[in-house]
Amino acid sequence: MSVRPIAMPQAASPLHDRPSARRLLEIDWILLITTLLLIGYGLVTGYSNTMEDRTFTGDVGQQLLRGVLYAVIGVAVMSIVALVDHSWLGTFAPVIYLGTLGLLAIVLVVGPSTLGATRWVTIAGFKFQPSEFAKVFMVVVLAKWFADRNVRSPFTLLGGLAILAVPVGLVFKQPDLGTSLVFLGMFFGLAFVAGARLWQLTAIAAAGAAALPVVWGSLREYQQARLVVFLDPYSDPQGAGWNIIQSLIAVGSGTLTGKGLTAGTQSPLGYLPIAESDFVFSGLAEDLGFVGAAILFVLYLVLLLSALRIAHRSRDAFGTYLAGGVATMLAFQIVVNVGMAISLMPVTGIPLPFISQGGSSLISICFALGALQSISMRREVKVLG
Amino acid sequence: MQERRDRTFVHPRRLAAIALAMVGVFVLLGVRLWDLQVVNGGHYRELAEQNRIVRVPVTADRGVIYDRSGRLLARNDPGFAVSIIPVDLPRSRADEIASRLAVFVERGSDAILKAIADQRARNPYEPVKISVRPLPRETALLLVERAELYPGVRVTAEALRSYVDGPLYAPVLGYVGPIDEEELADRKGGGYLLQDIIGKTGLEWEYEQYLRGTLGWREVERDASLRELRTLALIPPRPGNDLVLTIDDKLQKLLDAELEKGVREDKFTQAVGIAMNPQNGEILAMVSIPAYDNNAFIQGVSSAQMNAWNSDDRHPLVNKAIGDIYPPGSAFKVVTGLSALSTGVATRNTVVNVSSNVLVVDGWKFYDWRVHGPLDFVNGFAHSSDIYFYTLGGGNPYSGQRGAGPEALSKYGKMLGFGAPTGIDLPGEASGIMPDPLWKLATFDEPWTLGNTYHESIGQGFVAVTPLQLLNAYASVANGGTVYKPHLLKEVRSDGKPVVVPQPQVARKLDMKQEDLRLIRESARRVVTIGHAYMPDAKLPIAGKTGTAEFGQSSGVDSAGRQKLGFHNWFVSFLPKQDNTDPTAEIAMVIFTFDSSRSLCDVCFNPAVAMTQHILESYYGVADKKASAP
Repeated sequence: MSVRPIAMPQAASPLHDRPSARRLLEIDWILLITTLLLIGYGLVTGYSNTMEDRTFTGDVGQQLLRGVLYAVIGVAVMSIVALVDHSWLGTFAPVIYLGTLGLLAIVLVVGPSTLGATRWVTIAGFKFQPSEFAKVFMVVVLAKWFADRNVRSPFTLLGGLAILAVPVGLVFKQPDLGTSLVFLGMFFGLAFVAGARLWQLTAIAAAGAAALPVVWGSLREYQQARLVVFLDPYSDPQGAGWNIIQSLIAVGSGTLTGKGLTAGTQSPLGYLPIAESDFVFSGLAEDLGFVGAAILFVLYLVLLLSALRIAHRSRDAFGTYLAGGVATMLAFQIVVNVGMAISLMPVTGIPLPFISQGGSSLISICFALGALQSISMRREVKVLG
Repeated sequence: MQERRDRTFVHPRRLAAIALAMVGVFVLLGVRLWDLQVVNGGHYRELAEQNRIVRVPVTADRGVIYDRSGRLLARNDPGFAVSIIPVDLPRSRADEIASRLAVFVERGSDAILKAIADQRARNPYEPVKISVRPLPRETALLLVERAELYPGVRVTAEALRSYVDGPLYAPVLGYVGPIDEEELADRKGGGYLLQDIIGKTGLEWEYEQYLRGTLGWREVERDASLRELRTLALIPPRPGNDLVLTIDDKLQKLLDAELEKGVREDKFTQAVGIAMNPQNGEILAMVSIPAYDNNAFIQGVSSAQMNAWNSDDRHPLVNKAIGDIYPPGSAFKVVTGLSALSTGVATRNTVVNVSSNVLVVDGWKFYDWRVHGPLDFVNGFAHSSDIYFYTLGGGNPYSGQRGAGPEALSKYGKMLGFGAPTGIDLPGEASGIMPDPLWKLATFDEPWTLGNTYHESIGQGFVAVTPLQLLNAYASVANGGTVYKPHLLKEVRSDGKPVVVPQPQVARKLDMKQEDLRLIRESARRVVTIGHAYMPDAKLPIAGKTGTAEFGQSSGVDSAGRQKLGFHNWFVSFLPKQDNTDPTAEIAMVIFTFDSSRSLCDVCFNPAVAMTQHILESYYGVADKKASAP
């Protein structure tokens, strides 16, 4: 039994990297179907949320159309990225890195401030959240960094950390604590997949823990309150604990089968803050109950395990690290968002993949999944006989 | 699958570890969800409902009050109340909100904070009213327009009690005010809320049960910013019932105008006037001067104003018709006369020769106001001879005539209603004093003397009455022997239809002979016809009895700066329909003037007499226009 790459040697340019029929068959169908199901799930819950929002004054159909448009763009982006050999991503990693830093810097300079944070820029009439793309792009950059170096060397690890530090700092300054944490979680996941020595990872984690008081001091008061209050939301039910209590009530009141789509009361009456993004899971659990949430979990798990399988089968180190990084990043986002909604984690505003409304999140994830499909199509396969 | 040597970048165990961790984390999330949604789902569903729905009390409109002919005496004007639902008010903002609201509701922010804290402990989902008195429209609008600055603050319509004639009816109607802790505790389960409005005194207090109505509830769906989206359920409030009083506004105003005029002209400093229908005990008018403006209590009384009222020695807050006691003077001779007649020590033909204006017994001198000569009962009563009634009450050592004695005086006095509240439907009624030897022994530890009997016989000494008691006693004589419970409530109406119509209540029947009562009526008419109660050019056959009493201080000035004379006048009258000897009187009236000047004119000693004539003639529309013109 032997294994051989189905991939051709890297083409002269991404534009010359033509797909072959054989390669298309090697798409990870499970991942693709799961992706489409999740996008569909997101459209349904998004529609339900819009219907429930009595303060929403726009056209519900148009809102749904916007969701569909994002989905179409996402799928298109995913297809294009899948067709291009993922190695090209590695090749352009330095450009991607500089572009990411540029985008993040622009947000800080020109972005409007909402709710005390500056996260958006408007490009051609579309609200665009660079930090969402930054997460995916930094997976690419770090994967390339580790792939080209000896991962077991502490310098590689520290170098990667240094590369990450700049965007993390920019995001932290928005301030967007949640995304900063996702970056760090993704870094450890990626380094772990890449085979970094455990003691080195542990040492970095320990050093980070030692630096926590400094970080804590640099947090704004509301961030500190949100981080602590999840331990006992009822200590300040009208203030910092409000979001958590209302979210728990929404989730709990969904019971086994939920109140039905568009029939929830917590989100429409405004008890769920930021019901369309940060606390979107609470609205879903209220509408569709435990069953609906469990279906979502299963889809997520299939998606994540598929990503890990792609990492396992990748032709090259860059592909493995990229897939591992995407998997851990998505897992980290899901767990933090859901954990926040059910009071297992502190409240940090990060979107729930596929379910939260917003084109930036969906399109950036589609970009990452396109890269995964690209890796899958260019993997080494068993050849029988 | 066997790994190729050159694929060292893949670490299958690490990937497996991550996969395992992911499965583990999702299982953990699933377990937590199961606990939240399936195990405790019911609890959270309740919380979600509670979130969404708030029960808000809807206060019922208080019933209004009319006089007997339908003239409005107490009504409700629109106003606004401010309340707080504690669960909607972030604790961290309570201080700030309280101090800002304090300016609007004119209350200390500490008091507001305490009210909120108390309600938080009691039921944080129910609003607690923090405005003590209704707010003007502009303030209410300010709070509503900037609602986002006042989380948990509700502004609702609240009727504002308004008394049409203020002081004229204040002694009768009383006023309403915010319920206090004690009243709330007394009415537990009666549907009262903290800071509710309740009748404090007068008829507002007496008939609270009818006037109040029943609280309604509104279940309101709200969003998180506490905007009320829609009413899910409404248990409408039942408005309070309206009261129709026996009061005749026309007579009340006639009486008040005369008495006020007397005060203005310095004829006296305080006055009471009451009119009733002796045939059923209905009070037709009740005036107490000086009074207070009960509207002041609705707007909130300053402590300076309250102190001024409390320290005023004219007792403006007391309904003097029932709440203060005075010596009745000669008007009390009805008791002496009826006691003597009923015990048989006197008849209409009993003659006492009043040949001197002083009766000397054991060295004590008892005066009459003049030498009368021989008097029979009718003339003794008509001329109000003191010595005649000394004789009837305590006997006469010179003529050897027996008197009724103090026990009989007390017995018949109590039968006529003295020494106990009449039972009128008003709070704060005084008992008065109907003394007897045992009472004196118990009160002063001294034995009764003949002098006590003499003084009592002419309404002086220990005996003290309320104006209403005196009126009610004469009314029972005028109607032929029935003592009614005087009452102010004619009927209770709901939507204009009577729901409660109190029947006249008989307190007791006089155990006296009809001919004796007839004799008193005849004598009372004689009081007027002989000019003792001087009524020039009388148009009506008024009968009555004067009284003059010395009481209290006769030097210095009162709170209004008027001279204290310690000298009071009474005139109790009744107006028979036809013959004054028949028990057909349809109106009886008492006028009491306090600190009266003794000599106003040569013949009219007693200002109450002239006022009675003028009032009754005006009321029946027979007044001589020229004579009454000012």
